[in-house]
Amino acid sequence: MTKLENHDDVRAILKKGFPRIRAADEEPRRDLWPAMLRKLDAHALRQRVPWYDWALLGALAGTLAFFPTSILLFMYHL
Amino acid sequence: MDLLERFAKGDDAAFEALFRQFEREVYGWILRIVRDPAAAEDLTVETFWRIYKARARFDPQAPFGAWARRIATNLAIDHLRCRRSEQELPEQLGAPGAPNPALQREAREQIQRAFRRLPAKLQAAATLAFIEEKSYDEISDALGVSIGAVRLRMFRAVRILRKEFNRMGLKP
Repeated sequence: MTKLENHDDVRAILKKGFPRIRAADEEPRRDLWPAMLRKLDAHALRQRVPWYDWALLGALAGTLAFFPTSILLFMYHL
Repeated sequence: MDLLERFAKGDDAAFEALFRQFEREVYGWILRIVRDPAAAEDLTVETFWRIYKARARFDPQAPFGAWARRIATNLAIDHLRCRRSEQELPEQLGAPGAPNPALQREAREQIQRAFRRLPAKLQAAATLAFIEEKSYDEISDALGVSIGAVRLRMFRAVRILRKEFNRMGLKP
């Protein structure tokens, strides 16, 4: 901390620009666990479905996008 | 089995317990660096997400808080890097101690803008040292660099800020 004494001018100006965080502000304004759970659930879903299923889904979506008439054919087979 | 050991082995209940225990500390630490409550909340969740993903690599003998703080600091610095303002500053500014509140507010905004133009790593180190008055030990721990590197960052930050504040006519 020896160098800090030389920085007093900068420190004083910064303190005018940025008030210190008070202990009361250190609490998140909402419960963050639900957001955490959503992330975990999305991850679990990605883990559950194997990559080739996603690839198949992508290929199907691409086919339907490029050949919209195949939607009817696809629906007929469902 | 110890909570940290259970967490490292992938126990979700242990993870939730650690989340509840350290959420406030991680949020408070991030808030000190980014100074934006909404961003701090998002970054807190992201920090715990990274912790969750890296749980298999966690050593249960090591302090969890320090590990979490380091991950949080890296994320906060990434956030500062994205947010860094490119705005040009006016040449002159009224003294921040002036009695006019509008002038004071303007001065505060100018100081903040000048500060936000620092590289993200310097911003983080300078915020923790000058505004939050954390020790170099604590800062070096959180940044994952040596104390010498922290001193160097402080030196560079001060040199840039002093030049900027002089240009703006700001005095302590």
